Amino acid sequence: MHLTKLSEAFLRSAAYERRFLAKNHWDFSMVVWIPLATVLLIWWIFSQTQITDLPIGVIDQDNSAVANTAVRYLEASPTLTVRQLYYSQADAEAAILQRDIYAVVIIPEDFSRNILSSQPAPLTLQVNAQYGTHSGIIQAGVQAVASTLSAGVEIKRLVKQGVAPSQAMTAYAPISVQRISLFNAATNYQQFLASTVIPALLHILAMVIGATTIGRELRDKNIGRWYRFIDTEKPNLTLSKTSKTTSSLSTKQDSSNNKTSSNAKMPNSVSLSVLVFGLLGKYFWPILAYSLWSALILWLATSNQNINIMSLMAVYAGFLCLMVLSFWLGAIFTLNSFSLRMGLSTTGFISAPSYAFAGVTFPYIAISDSAQYWSNALPLTHYLKLHIAQLQMQAPIAISLPIVYGLMLAAIIALVLAALLTKRALAHPERWGAR
Amino acid sequence: MSAHSKTNSTDTPASHSFWNSFIQTFKDVFGDKGVLLMLIIAPIIYGFFYPWPYSSEVVNHVPVGIIDHDNSNLSRTLVRYASASPYLNTERFINEQAAKEAIWSDKIAGYMVIPAGLEEQVQSGEQAHVSVLGNGGYFILNKNVQLGFSQAVGTVSAGIKVKKSIAKGAYAPTAAQNTQAVPLRIMPLYNQTEGYGAYVVPAVSVIILQQTLLMATAMLIGTWYEQRRHSTSVRGWLGRIGALSSLSFIVGCFYYGWAFELHHYPRGQNMLGTLLFLALFCPTVATLGCVLGLWFRQRERSMQILIFISLPIFFLSGYPWPADQLPQVLQVIRWLVPTTPAINTSVQLNQMGASVSQVAIGFYALAGLWLLYFVLLLFLRKRIPQRKAYL
Repeated sequence: MHLTKLSEAFLRSAAYERRFLAKNHWDFSMVVWIPLATVLLIWWIFSQTQITDLPIGVIDQDNSAVANTAVRYLEASPTLTVRQLYYSQADAEAAILQRDIYAVVIIPEDFSRNILSSQPAPLTLQVNAQYGTHSGIIQAGVQAVASTLSAGVEIKRLVKQGVAPSQAMTAYAPISVQRISLFNAATNYQQFLASTVIPALLHILAMVIGATTIGRELRDKNIGRWYRFIDTEKPNLTLSKTSKTTSSLSTKQDSSNNKTSSNAKMPNSVSLSVLVFGLLGKYFWPILAYSLWSALILWLATSNQNINIMSLMAVYAGFLCLMVLSFWLGAIFTLNSFSLRMGLSTTGFISAPSYAFAGVTFPYIAISDSAQYWSNALPLTHYLKLHIAQLQMQAPIAISLPIVYGLMLAAIIALVLAALLTKRALAHPERWGAR
Repeated sequence: MSAHSKTNSTDTPASHSFWNSFIQTFKDVFGDKGVLLMLIIAPIIYGFFYPWPYSSEVVNHVPVGIIDHDNSNLSRTLVRYASASPYLNTERFINEQAAKEAIWSDKIAGYMVIPAGLEEQVQSGEQAHVSVLGNGGYFILNKNVQLGFSQAVGTVSAGIKVKKSIAKGAYAPTAAQNTQAVPLRIMPLYNQTEGYGAYVVPAVSVIILQQTLLMATAMLIGTWYEQRRHSTSVRGWLGRIGALSSLSFIVGCFYYGWAFELHHYPRGQNMLGTLLFLALFCPTVATLGCVLGLWFRQRERSMQILIFISLPIFFLSGYPWPADQLPQVLQVIRWLVPTTPAINTSVQLNQMGASVSQVAIGFYALAGLWLLYFVLLLFLRKRIPQRKAYL
């Protein structure tokens, strides 16, 4: 009988929410259209997975054959494109300030003379370091061109000195470095950024839904009505007269204009287990929808990779726990402040910058010590560690399982906390309706 | 609620003159702690909170592993040079498996493998190589690993070359000079220390200013709509926009005048231009906020819908991700958001020191957006009072 009561609470709460979502297109959009559009938009933004052809300028003060070769090499670099040759420093600087180009390579006038006389012939790269992404890629590209030029010049010189061409390479660099990028070898930004940004965005959206789903009941002073609707306990088991209004009201809960004062009265015995199942029912549709979006992003992120099915299951389990945890966290912040507005403010404050703290773009080990505590307190940080370890590094599952268990435990604790806070909110009808 | 409020939707006309409306907006902002929190307090807190993870600015001493299979004098020299690199913090591993496990659990970001027989190969003049393996899952770390190891190996390698040249009878200084025929001198402009916070925070600040002003404005208008105080004359709307944007202007001055200074970011290269920018940016965003307020028509709706969009519009702005790498359609759509011209314009003026004429496109785009939003506002203003209110 107890179980049927709980499943009844779940089903009634889910039905209550379904009716609401069907009538309120903004809230429905937050569950369906906005997250779907977000996943696709971010994936689309990074659909050109590598950065190519960043515009740079060249000031050629030498005008020699070697200098021409240098310009040709720069042009041939896949990450760079030589937008224009400039004749003065001032022109080049103006072009950088207008963002026509992000860097200028200066070939000094004694460039070819130095090479011919076996002197070092430096190139200068002035790069707009304010644009960090552009700057990093341009620096790597120009550095590669300079190394190629160096190698060419020196090997030619060695051959001239009588070294056999086959030996020249060894003489040029006695120890060479074989650079290997483990995982994501192609520096694929879709894999690096899109696949980690989307979970961050779904986390934000889920927390917002978490805050609004329970918060609007508080704001509209409907939370008591919601509880009476889901709690099917026989009215005669409770003593007071409010339970009579309860049963009569619950039958006509759909008449939305009904906002009489009796509505605001709280039910006087609130069962925690009914609340837990009621909350699960209330958040059933968002949980269902977000488990679809989670699957969608994991499918996008892994469709061109060979990922172990167990790893995928572990990441998906972690993702679902993150989503469910996000719903409860949003609810907790709202219930704690008794205000939808405050709950949303807190949600925004915590979730919106959480990607910056997660240690993906700016590495965790470089984050200042105090900020690392904050970073560790954010569920997103842990999920993304799991995500990167399993989907990009293809680490053994055992390494990441503690994160899955941790997220699972956190989700369960958060659910109980949300239920306790709902119970507290039900006990304080005088605080309902805060804006 | 709907039936009740529809009747008095016209009998409380909001103040119609510019200044009345301006002052009334001020009063309402300071009388509403939700709006006040969003408009003034949140951006100030963010000014400290957002730069927090980046306070170390530059990534140094990345933990890495070294696997030395050679155990020779040469390999020990390599290890010594690598551990002296400011980029790296080295640790020895017995084999690659151990190093890989350390990568998986995020203990190290990469490792170098010195193969057996390296010294022998070098001495006998054979081509020798070491392998550097970086974790491609984290771009900045990978860059540091490659750079740190390459420099260490390059130095040792160059030393061997110099020794060999001298052994062949070359004059020592000439031999030393020849180590790199075309060295590259890199001069980072503007963000000269190449700090990560100095790169990302000035741009994100513009988003923070936009988002807080948008949400606060839409919250205020939404609240007025619920109270049926939303309708006013064109001048009245201008007064509202004026009041909201002047408050936001002051918050903007806090960022450009003080927050950037506090975190030692490059700033104030063109202060007059920056102020001019703010004077255009704030009303543009406030006008968009009014449009959204009339569209959402509910106090909390602005936060519900707008909280998540800061990340997508950042990637569309062309700042962290080159705009011409975006799909064609997005390259057009992105101009509908104020941050698209605003982030670049702000950074060009304040961090790089461009002149106003050099960022004229940004100013035109912002002015165009303001006009677009204002026309939308006038359209909604005409349309909404006749509509059946609030469902």
